[in-house]
Amino acid sequence: MSEFLIRNAYVIDPLSGIKGEIMDIAIRNGRIVEEVGSNAEVIDADHCLTLPGGIDSHSHVCGTKVNFGRYMSPEDMRAGRTARKGVMHVTSGYSVPTTFGNSYRYSVMGYTTVLEGAMAPLEARHTHEEFTATPHQDMLANTLFDGNWSIMEAVREKDMKRAAAVVAWTLSAVKGFAIKLTNPGGTEAWGWGEDVHSIQDQVPHFGVTPAEIIQTMIRANELLNLPHSVHLHCNALGVPGNYRTTLDTIDLVPDLNDKRQSLYLTHLQFHSYGGSTWKDISSKSEDIARAVNNKPAVAIDMGQIMFGRTTTMTADGPMEFKLYMLHHNKWSNHDVELETGSGIIPVYYSRKSLVNCVMWAIGLELALLVKDPWRCMLSTDNPNGAPFVKYPEIIALLMSRHFRENEIALLDPRTAHYVPLPAIDRELDWYDIAVMTRAGQAKALGITGIGKGSLAPGAEADIAIYPLKPESLDPSAEYQQVMAGFGKTRYTIKRGRVVARDGDVVVEGANSTIWTRATVPPGYDLSVDPEFMKKFEQYYTVRMSNYPVQDVYLPRGICIPTEASL
Amino acid sequence: MKIEDVVCPFCGCLCDDLVVEVEGTRIVSVENGCTLANEKFMGDHRLKTPIRREGKGWKETTYDEAIRETAQILCDADRPLLYGWSGTHGEAQSIGIHLAEILGALVDNTSTVCHGPSILAIQEVGHPGCTLGQVKNRADVVVYWGTNPIDAHPRHMSRYTTFADGFFLKDAFRDRKLIVVDVRKSESANIADEFVRIQPGGDYAVLSALRAIVQGKRSIIPPSVAGVSREQLFRVADLFLSAKFGAIFFGLGLTMSRGKSKNIRNAIELTEELNRHTKFIISPMRGHWNVYGSNEVFTWITGYPYAVDFARGIAFYNPGETTSVDVLSRKECDACLVVASDPGAHFPKACAEHLARIPTVQIDPHVNATTHLSRIQIPVAVTGIDAEGTAYRMDGVPIRTRMLFKGNYPSDTAVLEQLYAIVKEIKGP
Amino acid sequence: MRVILRTKPRKKPFIPIEAETIIPQNFLRKNDIRVYEGNKERRLEEIFYITAEGPAVSPDQVEIVLSGETGNIKRVGEYMNAGRIVVEGDIGMHCGNFMSAGEIIIKGNADAWLGREMRGGTIRCEGNAGHYCAAGYRGEKRGMRGGLVDVMGSAGDFTAEYLSGGEVRIHGDCGDLPGVEMRGGTLTIGGHCHRPCGNMTGGTCMVFGRVYDLLPTFRGAGNEEREYRGQRCQMMLYKGDTANRGKGSLLVKKNLNRTGTD
Repeated sequence: MSEFLIRNAYVIDPLSGIKGEIMDIAIRNGRIVEEVGSNAEVIDADHCLTLPGGIDSHSHVCGTKVNFGRYMSPEDMRAGRTARKGVMHVTSGYSVPTTFGNSYRYSVMGYTTVLEGAMAPLEARHTHEEFTATPHQDMLANTLFDGNWSIMEAVREKDMKRAAAVVAWTLSAVKGFAIKLTNPGGTEAWGWGEDVHSIQDQVPHFGVTPAEIIQTMIRANELLNLPHSVHLHCNALGVPGNYRTTLDTIDLVPDLNDKRQSLYLTHLQFHSYGGSTWKDISSKSEDIARAVNNKPAVAIDMGQIMFGRTTTMTADGPMEFKLYMLHHNKWSNHDVELETGSGIIPVYYSRKSLVNCVMWAIGLELALLVKDPWRCMLSTDNPNGAPFVKYPEIIALLMSRHFRENEIALLDPRTAHYVPLPAIDRELDWYDIAVMTRAGQAKALGITGIGKGSLAPGAEADIAIYPLKPESLDPSAEYQQVMAGFGKTRYTIKRGRVVARDGDVVVEGANSTIWTRATVPPGYDLSVDPEFMKKFEQYYTVRMSNYPVQDVYLPRGICIPTEASL
Repeated sequence: MKIEDVVCPFCGCLCDDLVVEVEGTRIVSVENGCTLANEKFMGDHRLKTPIRREGKGWKETTYDEAIRETAQILCDADRPLLYGWSGTHGEAQSIGIHLAEILGALVDNTSTVCHGPSILAIQEVGHPGCTLGQVKNRADVVVYWGTNPIDAHPRHMSRYTTFADGFFLKDAFRDRKLIVVDVRKSESANIADEFVRIQPGGDYAVLSALRAIVQGKRSIIPPSVAGVSREQLFRVADLFLSAKFGAIFFGLGLTMSRGKSKNIRNAIELTEELNRHTKFIISPMRGHWNVYGSNEVFTWITGYPYAVDFARGIAFYNPGETTSVDVLSRKECDACLVVASDPGAHFPKACAEHLARIPTVQIDPHVNATTHLSRIQIPVAVTGIDAEGTAYRMDGVPIRTRMLFKGNYPSDTAVLEQLYAIVKEIKGP
Repeated sequence: MRVILRTKPRKKPFIPIEAETIIPQNFLRKNDIRVYEGNKERRLEEIFYITAEGPAVSPDQVEIVLSGETGNIKRVGEYMNAGRIVVEGDIGMHCGNFMSAGEIIIKGNADAWLGREMRGGTIRCEGNAGHYCAAGYRGEKRGMRGGLVDVMGSAGDFTAEYLSGGEVRIHGDCGDLPGVEMRGGTLTIGGHCHRPCGNMTGGTCMVFGRVYDLLPTFRGAGNEEREYRGQRCQMMLYKGDTANRGKGSLLVKKNLNRTGTD
């Protein structure tokens, strides 16, 4: 039996309604408890900021396209090399670090749970292999359904229950967590080098529209009673004027769930552009934030970009090709049969580029203009907007108007003409940040029930203690300290074990993978559905029996079971 | 007992529809496999126990002793090389890389003698690719360049291209155009709609010409480029441009001929150019069944797909410098562990000679050319027959190979885990 | 200050020495300088007999002389920013990588990647250079950006790959594809070469010997006169590579190359 007592912690635990109190936290066998015995090991937090372990609800860290980002980028690998040290393995890479690199850097920043934003079902085994090699975070995989032939056929037949059955079979076969739609319909069109441009465009050969796919999947998701909502990367990412597509999409969303949103809109910065060309691109963050504020059934994450070098990677194959035509650096593409696509290109976001300056402002504006922090997660769509190691800087920007002003002074001077940021006074407080980096994520992902995102007795003892003293620190003025403090915890505790201290990882990790299994009535079990099986064997290039991810790939899997209402 | 949907551990096609009949620890029949597969499943020339060289002959030894001696050899070395990996499962590859990390060793896989140049090209310009099912269901133009699939990947055409009916091509053989580009008329060329014969070493020039043509710069093209007539170049370019979905597969004929990685780069840039007009993809025909898996595992652990040098603690990568063939021909290494490959058969003579000079240990089920260069050989189970684990198909699709029966041999994973534990103990914390 | 490093005999002479620490700025203060021999870290004095003469207050007053069996010593002069290194014999790979100022003189041959991604300064090699002389790094878009690499002998394949700035002169022959992916700077080849400037997008390459297998995607654009080693030469000008954007210039000496593709 292992016991810990964290004393004198300055605790913010939004899910428990604690907004900054000095208190003790007791831990026994990996869980938070009311109290521990006198022999418990004591950590003196010395009034430092103590939060539930960080949760990233949208990041690209594991799987086929992430690894291809490494594979094709020796120049990025050499930019972040560390040697073996203690229990820490060798790491390489800056924007797409190796799995251990990701895991250590997240851990040092206090992150204990990370959701991989896009897993192609056919290649799920790969994602799970890398999850095992990302040992300090519990991992979840958003599973791609955007170009899934069986889904589009069900949508065409207006058979929502069939769509739900496809999701249930697939998530359970590939040990996925939630439904991800990336440019729905667009990835199938990209199989012919085409794209869809609005939510009312027809997907070639399938006779459905993105709007129909999105609406069907939102409802199918609720029929399956899944913990998370549909997780959507909207159509027309990165296109000037795309805010209309985003507004149209928000209009589609019904309110079907009283515990969380009905639709999660990811990296919304990339979807909030006005103008009609790259020359007149402008921020439409005010319109988008207003729509989000008026629609409690949606939650978003920022998708902040930060200046410097990074690698973009997404299932949105056509978008990456468009981006390649602008950057002319290098381009990889990987379409996945019957399911989805993906693309990768390296980019450099520059303060000298007006477009990049506008993008930078939009992300911050969204976070400052969306009133409810529970519905706006902090993210960079790692590594698309920036590597996640930039989170502390983003936190500092959100907490300090002064810092923002200093940064704006460095931008292309025309920027102010295209964005509302300079006029926004709001400075987020410690509580807002705690919500936007863990509690909000836990709620949005629907994983509070398994003890994520809070410090209440019974919760998983995932805890981050930062060298920041909110009682005496003014984040608005002392933003440099805020940045440094969120960059390196004094202690990161994962499931009751100290895993990182003052910048070093100190133990071998033993993470879990969280997945969902919806039980469906017999008539909806596709593993014995003759039509589904026949098509599978005809058009896939692997046998159906070799498709599911075996249990051996999840040595410490945590299954969230649900009963479907079909 | 008949086992269905068996995964074939021979080539990069990783066919997973074989039916294998097993009696006890013996395979009695294989259905659906090509001749290469049948040989792999039915052939059985395995070592019975670990062996070590004594004087001029071999002596049997135990697993414990052989592994302990191997650990000592590796720990004593200043520049050990851990080579091979393409013939085993990912879990074993992963231990091998961590072993290299703790030893400060060079670790490299067989890409070094096959598609290494393709990887270098991809690192310069990227890789527009897809899974093989995309090709099967959509491609109306298929190109094989510097590769003869009928010989080296016998089921590639029937499972994924020419003879494979797909969703949008109900009669594949008639609906797809097949173009073969090579320096000689291969068997695959015999069934092609268009055979382009290039003078040896002329691929780069032909690819440059095609890029210019696709960009509309036809006037610059001379009457003949590396033996290919201007008329044929125009015809091929027009076929490319009229495709709804085109797929280029290339082999060692392009990768290992004059210009090497620059040939592949040129082919990729042609593919990119074609994507401005229609849909095109390009893919290497990977040889070993899990060579792509070794690239994947190497990459997520070290950041690089092959040829990684841990000598200075960090992962350092520079093919030409850190690749096995180069390191061995410069006689740098003072010990070598070979796992699941046969460099004795595939490396230049000077490299094989150096392997014979230094203490070389082989972990492999079979007696092969490398056995004759080794001091110790440790036999293991064959992945896909009496061991299981993850493999990556040539297009990146991960498939779990199956264990068809429980045999008497330990797996690569078991042997490497034991070796790793001993090395860790010797090296200390 | 003059530092003389003479190699000691080694048990395993084929194992290369990784010696990026051998740069003038490191010898200013008597630091504990280390190099790697395979996976073993060694003190400099384990590998070399060291003698130091005279004072220095800044790195540009430091000259390092390497002698003995130096052909297997890598990375000498990497990130060098001042001073001078003289190699009496051959030098190993990566000599002068990322160098930004100062001077390296090699009296023998240089192995591959001489002056990779160089930013400034001068490298003069009196013998031959290996493959990838004055080239870039894998995956990086720009190679050498400034400075001068001057090779009296010949160079291997892929010379000046990704050249983006500065000057490379090879007075002997080059192997295959010199100036491949070139985008700026100047490459001068005194001797013969194969397939120069594949996929070039910018910069100037001059060949004063024969060109074999000129690529079909270079477009003739008239004649120009250029001077090489005091002689005025009539050159044919080609623009290319039209497989790419075609903005580079390739000049090839006439007479030797009547058709350009001999």
